[in-house]
Amino acid sequence: MLSVDILLTVCLGYVALLFVIAFIVDRRSRQGPMRWLHSPVIYTLSISVYCTSWTFYGAVGSAARNGLEFVTIYLGPTLVFVGWWWLLRKLVRIAKVHRTTSIADLISSRYGKSPSLAVLVTLIAVTATTPYIALQLQSVTRSYQVIAGESDGITTAFWIAAGMALFTILFGTRNLDANERHHGVVAAIAFEAIVKLLALIAVGVFAVWGVAGGLGDVFADVPAEAIRGAGDIFGPRWVTLTFLSATAVICLPRQFQVTVVENIEERHLGTASWLFPLYLLGISLFIMPIAFVGLKVLPAGSNPDLFVLTLPLSEQQNGLALFAFLGGFSSATSMVIVAAIAVSTMVSNHIVMPVALQLLSVGRNVRGDVRWLLLTSRRVSIAAILGLGFLYFRISGGSDALAAIGLIAFVGVAQFLPSLIGGIFWRSANRAGALTGLISGALLWAYTLFLPSFGGDFIISLSVITDGPWGIAALRPQALFGLTDMDPLVHAVIWSVGFNALSFVIVSSLTGANALERLQSALFVNVYRSVEEDMSNVTAQTVDTEDLFVLAQRILGQAHAARLFEEMARAQGSAHDLPQATDTVVARLERELAGSIGAASAHAMVTRITGYQMVGMTELIDIASETQQLIETSRQLSEKSAELERTAQELRNVNERLRALDSQKDDFLSQVSHELRTPMTSIRSFSELLLGDEEVSEDQQARFTSIIHDESQRLTRLLDEILDISRLEAGLLSLPLEPVEMHAAVTAAFDSIAGMTHSRKVEIDIHPALTGLMVSANADRLRQVLINVLSNAVKYNTSAKPRIEVRTVTDSKEVWVDVVDNGGGVTRADAATIFEKFARGNRPSTDQGAGLGLPISRAFMNAMNGDLTVEFVSESVSFFRLSLARAEANPAAAQ
Amino acid sequence: MTSANDPAVHDRGTSQIRHRKARDRSVALLLLGGVLLMPPIGAIFLVDTTLFGVPFPLAYIFVVWVLLIVGGASLVKALQDSDGLHPTTDTSDTSS
Repeated sequence: MLSVDILLTVCLGYVALLFVIAFIVDRRSRQGPMRWLHSPVIYTLSISVYCTSWTFYGAVGSAARNGLEFVTIYLGPTLVFVGWWWLLRKLVRIAKVHRTTSIADLISSRYGKSPSLAVLVTLIAVTATTPYIALQLQSVTRSYQVIAGESDGITTAFWIAAGMALFTILFGTRNLDANERHHGVVAAIAFEAIVKLLALIAVGVFAVWGVAGGLGDVFADVPAEAIRGAGDIFGPRWVTLTFLSATAVICLPRQFQVTVVENIEERHLGTASWLFPLYLLGISLFIMPIAFVGLKVLPAGSNPDLFVLTLPLSEQQNGLALFAFLGGFSSATSMVIVAAIAVSTMVSNHIVMPVALQLLSVGRNVRGDVRWLLLTSRRVSIAAILGLGFLYFRISGGSDALAAIGLIAFVGVAQFLPSLIGGIFWRSANRAGALTGLISGALLWAYTLFLPSFGGDFIISLSVITDGPWGIAALRPQALFGLTDMDPLVHAVIWSVGFNALSFVIVSSLTGANALERLQSALFVNVYRSVEEDMSNVTAQTVDTEDLFVLAQRILGQAHAARLFEEMARAQGSAHDLPQATDTVVARLERELAGSIGAASAHAMVTRITGYQMVGMTELIDIASETQQLIETSRQLSEKSAELERTAQELRNVNERLRALDSQKDDFLSQVSHELRTPMTSIRSFSELLLGDEEVSEDQQARFTSIIHDESQRLTRLLDEILDISRLEAGLLSLPLEPVEMHAAVTAAFDSIAGMTHSRKVEIDIHPALTGLMVSANADRLRQVLINVLSNAVKYNTSAKPRIEVRTVTDSKEVWVDVVDNGGGVTRADAATIFEKFARGNRPSTDQGAGLGLPISRAFMNAMNGDLTVEFVSESVSFFRLSLARAEANPAAAQ
Repeated sequence: MTSANDPAVHDRGTSQIRHRKARDRSVALLLLGGVLLMPPIGAIFLVDTTLFGVPFPLAYIFVVWVLLIVGGASLVKALQDSDGLHPTTDTSDTSS
């Protein structure tokens, strides 16, 4: 036992030391930046406010009661920091871009700068922080009582609370901008972080090597059950605790404050990612040894929550006990100071400020010093929060297990997790979802964990806890809807966080979001893409810059506002005047204000002056790009389908042509077989007659043989023609061209059909005489064509005095040979078909051919680069015309 | 104009690959930590022996803890290196 005087002297001395450190650093940093204060090590040490007196005293108590379970409180944060790249880095980046002041600000800003969400988060934070602060008061009071002997706990707690409030108000409300660090506070907290670590290690080393004889001795007689605790190691409670601690290191207002808001450089996070887990490891290293040595050495029934103090005291190590006390004191005060700053910022920005906005009619006519109002409200909030903590301590009378109180706070702030994680990774998360999730989660947390923690002294009675309200067992707070046989903590987490997350997701996916929410969701989720948003003029609205300037002066202070506006004016290129109130300026101002009063309040104030909600061009594009992508995709789809349509149509056309060709081929084949059949039939029948038994006279024999001969010749001719036409059509027949004398060709053709012309007494007229006119042709084929045309003229001539006229017209390049007869010519209808295979004119004829003559002739003419056509003089008079290219007279061919 | 043979481009490529590897490893480390410290795998190490006088489960947890810290620290440099190389673009952001 130490004398009260010494204890008080040391205590006050320590507090004075903290004040001095804070004071000196504060003054120095105003003269110029202090490099060491901006180091990643200081940043990491400030994050260690995570280790409160709950860790310092409670962890040993937890280890004595539940074995290994205590490490879960440090494993969760370790995992979060090891995975810093994925979550913490994004949070820090978002907080920097949007100048976030607190977790309430971040959530409200994400969901359309919603004031109601900010208030809700603030209320939950205050409620969850209150028992936590009470816990710190309690542990400091208890530790004081242990060292100084029994004293009035309430009075001690009151003075401790008052002292902390004074310190926080003095050093924690120096400036409004939450992004600017409170250097004095940071220095003091870093100092305290070292003190508490060293104190715990000192006690640990003393316990292991001073009291016990080394590590082996410490654990010598410890049963396995003591290590495993109540047998729930690696069970549901283990998982729940790890989850809760991981959540707490992000969502606790004070952790958010030191890790995210007060982060100076993103790179510091990289160092903290391993240094902070290392700090936690150092803190945890001797927890278990202290617990087991305490259990062995100290009398049965001693409070394990105070082993850190009672162990050195029992060994008469007063100096060490005092050091341990200061360690506990440090961990308690640093937590309270940071928590009070964080929560008071929320209260003043999200609750006091909106009310003040209404009352003071800040806006076009700014009256009253808003800065003074804000600072005062922050100071009052700090006092109020500590007052609430003190009140909780009085009402609860001090729970026996420190850990339980801390866990209540953990579950409370875990309600922020769905909205926070969903907000930065999920575009569709919206305000309605966040509100529903937070409200339902907070109500369930209050009902299943927070209210029952008073043991029936506050709002709900003991009978409600054990039997349920109105005796309804299904509504028992710690066994809701029959979920019995479950650890109350696991039960509360499953109901509150589970229901919270579920309703958040369901409501978000069922409801829509307004423009500002969608804008913010794009900015938050894609924070790495839009680092510098280019605010272009979307709305051309004139705003009096003076109004904005006055507003800025009221909130940021004269000097700061002047600097800001000068900078913005320079950026616009004007050196003397105030800047034009473009969207860029308005957006910049709103961000600056948000750094002091939170996004929702800043937005409300600026909107009041400018009278419109501004949305930057890039953000609009960001939002629009989603729609644009959809439109683009559907356009591409319709293009594709049009293309397919076209292809299908082409295929149909080709198919149509193939079908036509196929049926032509069929027709051709049937025609050919028909044509071959006729002579074959006649040949067969006459040969049968000749071979038959009946007597056939010599004359008949000769006639039959002649018929058979004629028919076979016809057959041969037909086959030749078919062969010719198929080769011509396949393009296999190439005709060698040579100069041919036209006259000779025509005369030769007439000679070939002389028999025919003589028998029909046809009059022939060739004019002019074609002697010497050379054409480029194949002599044999040209003759064949001429014979065909001339014989047709004879065959189909029905006139009594048949007459054939061959006329020749020529120019320098071409020669036209017209074959005109007086037999009536070809009708127009026939002209269309006579060049098709097996077609015959309608004119009566004595000797019907196969109908291949004209198609072959035309094919030959085409092969000789010429043509064969039917020309009409009038409707009833027509003639055939052969066109050919002229050739120069060639001595060799002219012979 | 830069080409694939440009040393700056080459450096950026290497650094990007290194960065992606570091990100992959950070996920792997996180998963490993989660698996080793959570049930049911963690419960395998609840054996009733001691390691240098320390109960085995306690030693096991601290060893995993140290591994997580060392692993995390070894990745920090690679993760931050190309972060500075591309101050405005971030390849890790695939959420969009």
